[in-house]
Amino acid sequence: MLAAAGLLAGASTIDSGFDDITAKAGVAVAHHNRQFDNLYAKIMAGYTALGASASVADFDGDGFEDLFVTDSAIDGRNHLYRNNGNLTFTDVSAAAGIGTGNDAANASADSLWLDYNNDGRPDLFIVRFGHSQLFQNMGDGKFKDVTKAAGLDRYLNAITAVAFDYDRDGFIDLFVGAYFQPVNLFKPDTPRFFPESFETANNGGGVIVYRNNGNGTFSDVTKKVGLTLSGWTLDLGHGDANNDGWDDLYVACDFGTDRFFVNNGNGTFTDKTESAIGIDTKKGMNADWGDYDNDGLLDVYVTNITDDYMKEGNFLWHNNGNLTFTDVSRETNTYDTGWGWGAKFFDYDNDGWLDLYVTNGWVSAGKESYVPDVFEMIVKPNLDLADARNWPPMGNKSLSGYQRKKLFHNERGQGFVDTAGRYGVDSIRDGRGVAVADFDNDGRLDMFVANANGEPYLYRNTLSSAGHWVELLLTGTKSNRGASGAQVRAWVGPSTALGAGDKPLLRFVDGGNGFASQSTARVHFGLGAATRIQKLEIRWPSGLRQTFEDVAVDRISRVVEGEAALAPFVAKVTKR
Amino acid sequence: MRRLAVAAALILVAQAARPAVDAAQSNPADEKLAPLEQALLAAPDDLKAGNDYRMAVIQTGQYDRALGLFQKLVAANPAAANAHLNYGFAYVDKIPAAGAITQVILANNALGEFTKSLELKASWIGLYTRGNSYLFWPRIFNRTHLGVADLEAALKMQKAEQKRFYHVRTYIALGDGFWKMDDVFKASNTWRDGLVEFPDNAALKARIQKQGDELKTLIESNYDPNKRVDTSLQDLWSSQ
Repeated sequence: MLAAAGLLAGASTIDSGFDDITAKAGVAVAHHNRQFDNLYAKIMAGYTALGASASVADFDGDGFEDLFVTDSAIDGRNHLYRNNGNLTFTDVSAAAGIGTGNDAANASADSLWLDYNNDGRPDLFIVRFGHSQLFQNMGDGKFKDVTKAAGLDRYLNAITAVAFDYDRDGFIDLFVGAYFQPVNLFKPDTPRFFPESFETANNGGGVIVYRNNGNGTFSDVTKKVGLTLSGWTLDLGHGDANNDGWDDLYVACDFGTDRFFVNNGNGTFTDKTESAIGIDTKKGMNADWGDYDNDGLLDVYVTNITDDYMKEGNFLWHNNGNLTFTDVSRETNTYDTGWGWGAKFFDYDNDGWLDLYVTNGWVSAGKESYVPDVFEMIVKPNLDLADARNWPPMGNKSLSGYQRKKLFHNERGQGFVDTAGRYGVDSIRDGRGVAVADFDNDGRLDMFVANANGEPYLYRNTLSSAGHWVELLLTGTKSNRGASGAQVRAWVGPSTALGAGDKPLLRFVDGGNGFASQSTARVHFGLGAATRIQKLEIRWPSGLRQTFEDVAVDRISRVVEGEAALAPFVAKVTKR
Repeated sequence: MRRLAVAAALILVAQAARPAVDAAQSNPADEKLAPLEQALLAAPDDLKAGNDYRMAVIQTGQYDRALGLFQKLVAANPAAANAHLNYGFAYVDKIPAAGAITQVILANNALGEFTKSLELKASWIGLYTRGNSYLFWPRIFNRTHLGVADLEAALKMQKAEQKRFYHVRTYIALGDGFWKMDDVFKASNTWRDGLVEFPDNAALKARIQKQGDELKTLIESNYDPNKRVDTSLQDLWSSQ
């Protein structure tokens, strides 16, 4: 199998950059939006074109990254795609027992892999409008529904989730973002469940924080930790903004203000929105953290809506190092990506600088535009926007549809240039999530793009000019097993000019950042021309710091917390 | 009888504004705005008084206060064309400080006031203002042709009047309107006609010199709702 993968990799000689291997890989199964069957169905149709998501983990521990992909139709099946190791996938969801994520009372919106019980096997949380589900990975290819036993059975219109160990007790905690308030969307008992405002809505689902009790159960600690919110949450992103070892939280909200919470290190968070990012009125869709300018501080990328009729512009929040951020999206050419959705930092050409892929497009349907309908509504004085009946049905009209995706190449931290067209990854489908992973273990990051009401794309990275690289799979022992929140710094030497002065490159294990997606948990470093890493430092969530000298490149290694040496990875790296 | 009613309305407006005046001693914004408000209340149709007030409002960021005052002013003086015009500008002045959706609402409200002003009194400034405002609307709203019609009327009006240096604005905006309607030929001709009248105008020269994406960037940057539009009418009283 590995040899076959090697042959396949070696056969690629054309430097197209990214190859669309969706059909060949066996993952070309379309997503379907939920069609609601209630009094407000025609109106809801325009505002629930969601639920196309993809999440990456090596669920069976064979050394190849697998995929979980959601559908949202009432009879739509979710897909657990097992990576066969040769760039083909097999849908094993039926055998695994996790394919039936949709029914009359539930619609899948997202998913998240997390090792909640520290047994070394990624478990799966399916985020739903309805009752989200936690499935325990039994290790034999099967999963067990443990939602009730874990204390997570509850109606929420959940749309996103991230997992990190906010209190650093060694067990990964769960942060769930909800879009609508917990009104049963399938049989609403009130028409007043739509956003009350386009800019300051506070009648959404907010955020729910579940603390992992360490015994297979979770407790709702939302109030206790200080995250009582009622915004229209679309995405959550965690990262350590001030390098104090405690991961902070960015909450991207539709119809109102994004929120930034600082982790106080005592089990609580403080809302620092006003001082950190200011009060915005935009439509936050995505929150991904990454150090785009290699200054040793994690920055945040947030998508909003930018179109002829609404010029919000995205945020590229440059981290100033003092718990304040400055939006540099205009200066860096990342401001306008249309109606933005999921976006992910990753170094596609291994040059040591984080690039950025941005999906976009709301509804691509008929030629007629929905904009005038919305306009007619918003200029009506004193209209009760919370009442769904006041919103015009979208019908077959389009709204910010047929938009081209963006692949921004990082120009050494100074700005970005869109290369999506050049590499053929500028599709016009209605993108939602982008999951990045090295599916063929060749050191180059591939992309899986989930599209609403359409087929996804699996893009294999074939860039022959890509630089050297290192991938690290971290395993916590005292820290949470999946090492979510662990930071890795790599010193590659001044001659490579990757950082500022002698500053190291900073990457971290994120627990599901990015809208409707979860990318690889491996830490990936592009290294450009560097042929050795002089020093590698890992800061584990437990507080342990480990350093490794003179690390070899172009390989995947496993790092176990507390062990003195890097261990070889079980799956062989395919040859180019 | 009618006079009495107007006087009564004025008193009502003056009373409504009184709390702001009373608080003037403790609030720097009040100190600046209160006397201008009194002047405007005393002369509701005075274009300059409204303009001076708005310029002070921009400096203090008290946009809602201004909108409140103009709302009462036009309610009390429905026939004051210039009050409606300044009311429209007050909406425009708030646009850069507002969210994207509120910007649309403000812009729409502004158009409503400009229209009321023109219905009461057709004027060059009214036509130019409303015509230019239409150009800020994205194509999807199909309003550009309305802007072109207003600007053509303004051009006709200014040609019948004494030439003023600010009349160049009509040529610039009308050309932009044609450009937005994809009539590059008419756009170019309009800008060239303007250059004949105003040969030193840099904005016209830039438009003539640029083409394609460069021209697009130039024009679109002039109609960006997030940038503050200069709504000062000071040119009207300039001796230049």
